[in-house]
Amino acid sequence: MATAAINIHGVSKVYNPGSPQAVQALDTVSLTIHDNEFFTLLGPSGCGKTTLLRLIAGFEQVTGGEILLFEEGIENLEPSQRPVNTVFQHYALFPHMTVAQNVAYGLERLKKPKDEIRLTVDRVLSLVKLTELANRRPSQMSGGQQQRVALARALAPSPKVLLLDEPLSALDLKLRQAMREELKQLQKETGITFVFVTHDQEEALAMSDRIAVMSNGEVQQIGSPTEIYEHPVNRFVADFIGDTNFIDGEIISVKDDLVSCRISANTVFEAEDSGNHKPGDQVTLFLRPEKITLTSDAQIVNGESHAGKVTNIIYLGNQALLSVDLGNDIELTAQTRPREDGNLPFAVGDSLLVEFSKRALRVLAK
Amino acid sequence: MSSWLPTNPSSRRWLGLAPTYLVIGIFMLIPMIIMGTYSFMEANPYGGVKPVFSTAAYLQLAWEYDLDGTLVFNPGYLKIIWRSIGLSTMATVICLIFGFPVAYYITLQPENRRNFYIYLITIPFWTNLLIRTFAWIIILGRNGVIELPLLSLGIIDKSLRMMYSDGAIAIGLTYSYLPLMVLPIYASLEKLDFRLLEAASDLYSSRLEIMTKIVIPLSKPGIIAGCILVFIPCLGAFIAPNLLGGGKKLMLGSLVQFQFASARNWPFGSALSMLMLAVVVMALIFYARGAKKRAAGAES
Repeated sequence: MATAAINIHGVSKVYNPGSPQAVQALDTVSLTIHDNEFFTLLGPSGCGKTTLLRLIAGFEQVTGGEILLFEEGIENLEPSQRPVNTVFQHYALFPHMTVAQNVAYGLERLKKPKDEIRLTVDRVLSLVKLTELANRRPSQMSGGQQQRVALARALAPSPKVLLLDEPLSALDLKLRQAMREELKQLQKETGITFVFVTHDQEEALAMSDRIAVMSNGEVQQIGSPTEIYEHPVNRFVADFIGDTNFIDGEIISVKDDLVSCRISANTVFEAEDSGNHKPGDQVTLFLRPEKITLTSDAQIVNGESHAGKVTNIIYLGNQALLSVDLGNDIELTAQTRPREDGNLPFAVGDSLLVEFSKRALRVLAK
Repeated sequence: MSSWLPTNPSSRRWLGLAPTYLVIGIFMLIPMIIMGTYSFMEANPYGGVKPVFSTAAYLQLAWEYDLDGTLVFNPGYLKIIWRSIGLSTMATVICLIFGFPVAYYITLQPENRRNFYIYLITIPFWTNLLIRTFAWIIILGRNGVIELPLLSLGIIDKSLRMMYSDGAIAIGLTYSYLPLMVLPIYASLEKLDFRLLEAASDLYSSRLEIMTKIVIPLSKPGIIAGCILVFIPCLGAFIAPNLLGGGKKLMLGSLVQFQFASARNWPFGSALSMLMLAVVVMALIFYARGAKKRAAGAES
């Protein structure tokens, strides 16, 4: 792929080093963000994703390692000297300035000619569809509009990298979904590298070219949305992204990339393994609820079907999540859709058949 | 259960606000009316006023009767008023220059330490202003704390004559009212969203630009409140001008005090006070107009 926009080499960050309140926010994190990429740092709160963003922006100093921006060290540069701009979580718009003044602020500090500033402000405001509101104050605008102003203000100086710190988290669901598309579109149009921080896995999957899943100050996995969702490298990633069934078992035989795994005394599942496990290894299998097919036919069709009983239903409108008891202490969550008349095909207490392909059941490194 | 209370909502509102009106009425409105009335009466040479209508007190502000009974212009009192405004402005500006950084510094401290610093700022108020101003005589005076070491080290060979000057008065005023500048500025800086400073620095602002473009504009309400709180008592101050100005350098406040205490000319003292009130009110109206215009300018 293209050149690297940001290289992060073994970066660590400790807050209050040496004191009893010392907190290790990042532990030797290394990753590369490509130019023109929509890169997402995804993880639960406290995983270090925002710290990493603040290190790139220059609001914090690294405790160890280094950050390169287009191959150049930026350690000694103040935030005001770095060609990156930030969209802050709470927007941090200047309340004493109009929208246009907010957007022009960075350009004025860069001492751009007045005409150029005016043209750029107009262009950026039309990009985020705020031309009519140029003379409003931030306090006179809705959350979604303020969000666009924050975006416009950060885009106006044409940064090499745009850092976005959970910019959508304060918006309501509809607006958030609309902004996702707009952000993705904006990134394509401007060709600026976006580094997007979020704890919302849906957001990450919908927008990103690549995602880095973080937890406890470490990067767990880096990959495309499909890789992260379909081939999580560990239980944390599989659990954090989407709904998942975890099944513990012991490998009894291995054949190419398929393993047979004993789940309980008289249950054996076949599963895909890319981790080179050996017979006797204790492993965790994972299975996404939407890969499970449910049928009410009481006859076992083939070896991959298992009889079960519905113990609980969570109705979500366009789908429902069913808890199915397979006996032997095995319970799976499966997904089903309502029928055309709107009713669910199953009710609590129904007996049914559970089917899933052995390719859908995957072994996680324990 | 409270059946004696009026049931009609607007009467209830009046009842709720009654204490406020009572306080404003007793402690502000009535004294001001008395002062205004006195200023239009004749002076009683033994103190107090004679209940006879007269505009003599206001005439005395700028004119006096010559020996032959004609009115001639006498700018003496106007000069004192002008000097008072000048000295008060000077003290206000010095208070602002010293007070703003102090307030900003306190804002940057951890939360539990801020209250301690604010407490420190208010400590001088616990001692009588008169005594604290006397201390300045010892500091600034001939062979005082500043002069004596300089003289004995041979850095200067004669007195600096710091006392009994406009400078001494300005120092005294600044010292007296500095906390009144720090506290309102601190109050508005404390509400400042420090994430805005990060945003400004992210958008290529130098430290100086962060100050001039973000911090100062956003703490303007506190700066203005501080300036008003310092300027007005400076104008009416009489302890610092009397002690540090030696009575030779009169200010408006000391002039008023003199009329009531020594000269026994209450109407003239009242007229001077009314004039002072007019100056302050005009300054406030001027500011309010400016603020409205600025706000309108930003909207359009």
